[in-house]
Amino acid sequence: MGFEKIIFYFFAAILVVSALRVITVRNTVHAALFLVLAFFTTAALWLMLEAEFLAMTLVLVYVGAVMVLFLFVVMMLDIDVSVLRAGFTRYLPVGATVAVVVIIEMSYFLLGGFDNSKFTPVKHGVEYSNTRAIGNVLYTDYLFVFEIAAVILLLAIVAAISLTLRKRKDTRYQTPGNQVKVRKSDRIRIVKDMDTES
Amino acid sequence: MLLLTDYLILGAILFCISIAGIFLNRKNVIILLMCIELMLLAVNINFIAFSHFLNDIAGQVFVFFILTVAAAEAAIGLAILVVLFRNRSTINVEELDTMKG
Amino acid sequence: MINFTMPDFTQAYPEMFVLAMTCVILILDQFLSDARRSITYYLTQLTVIVAAVLTFNQFGTDTVVTFSGMFVNDSMSVLLKLAMYVVMIGIFLYSRAYLTKRGLLKGEYYALGLFGMMGMMVMISAHNFLTIYLGLELLSLSMYALVAYDRDSMVASESAMKYFVLGAIASGMLLYGMSMLYGANGTLDISAINDSINSGTASKQIQAFGLVFIIVGLAFKLGAVPFHMWLPDIYHGSPTSVTLYIASAPKIAAFAMVMRLLVETMPGLQSDWQTMLIMLAVLSMAIGNVIAIAQTNLKRMLAYSTISHVGFILLGIIAADKAGYSAAMFYTITYAITSLGAFGVIILMSRNGFEADQLDDYKGLNQRNPWYAFVMLILMFSMAGVPPTVGFFAKLWVLEAVINNDMTWLAIVAVFFSVIGAFYYIRMVKLMYFDAPEDEQVLEGSADMRLALSLNGIVVLGLGLFPGSLMALCVAALA
Repeated sequence: MGFEKIIFYFFAAILVVSALRVITVRNTVHAALFLVLAFFTTAALWLMLEAEFLAMTLVLVYVGAVMVLFLFVVMMLDIDVSVLRAGFTRYLPVGATVAVVVIIEMSYFLLGGFDNSKFTPVKHGVEYSNTRAIGNVLYTDYLFVFEIAAVILLLAIVAAISLTLRKRKDTRYQTPGNQVKVRKSDRIRIVKDMDTES
Repeated sequence: MLLLTDYLILGAILFCISIAGIFLNRKNVIILLMCIELMLLAVNINFIAFSHFLNDIAGQVFVFFILTVAAAEAAIGLAILVVLFRNRSTINVEELDTMKG
Repeated sequence: MINFTMPDFTQAYPEMFVLAMTCVILILDQFLSDARRSITYYLTQLTVIVAAVLTFNQFGTDTVVTFSGMFVNDSMSVLLKLAMYVVMIGIFLYSRAYLTKRGLLKGEYYALGLFGMMGMMVMISAHNFLTIYLGLELLSLSMYALVAYDRDSMVASESAMKYFVLGAIASGMLLYGMSMLYGANGTLDISAINDSINSGTASKQIQAFGLVFIIVGLAFKLGAVPFHMWLPDIYHGSPTSVTLYIASAPKIAAFAMVMRLLVETMPGLQSDWQTMLIMLAVLSMAIGNVIAIAQTNLKRMLAYSTISHVGFILLGIIAADKAGYSAAMFYTITYAITSLGAFGVIILMSRNGFEADQLDDYKGLNQRNPWYAFVMLILMFSMAGVPPTVGFFAKLWVLEAVINNDMTWLAIVAVFFSVIGAFYYIRMVKLMYFDAPEDEQVLEGSADMRLALSLNGIVVLGLGLFPGSLMALCVAALA
């Protein structure tokens, strides 16, 4: 067994275990942290597949933004975990059995369907840049879908704000326009001292 | 030498774990959302493995867009969750039974 | 090193225009007071109309694939887009009345609605798995947000959550299937995959394996049994203005997605997907029609009726020839228009605090307002497939296509379940015409709402009397 294989199985084992922990742990915060671990190990696996740009994106976007958002919501909402867990153990044996059977079936199809000898990756030299390769097509061949992805992000902003932004009646706001417009005379009144004047 | 099927089976295992998680955690919506993220991760592993072994960049570009959409999806999903929690003070899916028929 | 041909931007003018106008509307709306919110509404309608004109200019031109194979403009995409614009104008018109009455009229509704419309346009013109996926997500994400739009409503946020979770699972399934087809064929382009499947070099087993996931994802999105669980709750729980949206225009986009994914990508796997669709279609017609009888809520009843209609649309695809596809296309377009009208009547009947979504609310509608009772009668007859409404011809042509392909038993099953289905539509008519009214409130609606609804009823009747021209367009679109 080569060094590459050992590394792969090491990361794959961590990934599977952390994914299992995501769906089985009692505490939602722990689940989120295990999901972070799963993303990190996946990023490592993607590095082995020479997808450096996406590996970095996964860590930055997912761990840096999406999972922080998850943790933020978990901690903002006061969730009673024990009620949500009721009935979990009852379904566990059935769920686990079905999952194992389906995994075996899918593996059977995948092993039977893909002839590994036909899939031989080209080894790229040191001068090959994965980011450049993606960038070259992203703004040319994939221009149309790139724009659509931008629209989806805009939609997400509009949707998330329109769903959650609430104006409270008792909140006081600053109006920058009025702040700028303020003149010295509005704030300071010069009171002349009559006694010293005369 | 690593084979394509090694990665595909890893993807299949993750996919099944996420489906099992959806069925086991039917009550906890936040875990459900995390299972959906796991599911997309499994798909992404497939695409990147194919992209590498087929020497075709299209698979990686697809993953790039899945990541974008998944981030937008997570934002909207969590926004809906917050709205739901404000109305119901619970995220228990089984208590979501106002509608019957 | 970069091999790139400049895309033909003229083909995407409607999409570009809608995007630009959506941004304008988003910004402009911030500066409008509630009293002048109708400016947003008129701009939205203007956007749809101009987009329709731009699309109409592409009518009759040859098939153009551009944006490096991401985008296609063919006669099918032009016709489906035009039909979708008509339905969208109706959606925005009807929902304005609903939202105004409840103080929910905000610019976000129109922005999200236009984003959804853009998603549908992308789906209809998709020529690559990536485009299909992104168009679908653009549509779905705006739908999730729209369902939760009335954020103080408990049922609305509940159904938004259900819709979101099930929709995301469906997308995951679809993506897994797409990844398998990508792996087997080495490309994401629709016509390239078609070539690869026909050449027979790729593994048949993997393609069938991927196809299963794609069908499951599609069935979820279409609401075909056994993946229909979300549909009644979403129809019931959403504000009626949003149910109206979900129940009409996206069906046209979903039809386009089925055509692009199955018919254009995988004719080589036709026997595989035919078998799977037959199961979905029979189950949908059976479960949809039977469970609809037990409903007391009109929106829920229409949800189950949608499920049965999805079964019928799938029949046309199952027939798998030009006649079948054009019949399914005719069915989808006319169903979207009929469904639009039915939810329009619900909106007309409702007022603030009264949703008019119970069947009993329609008792004696004929005595209260004979004209709208008649419009509802036409719409119900059309859904049931009673001549001379358009629903009759839609069903007839689908059945004809199925019989011509030696699947007579399937046609018999379809007829059997639509006879069962006719029961609950006729019951609705009985309530309206033969029961005494319980609610004496005069129907109030703005002039444009009344006019549009009348027109909607007349169109459903008129297309039933003269179905030939639309059918000819559908046939031409697939030539």
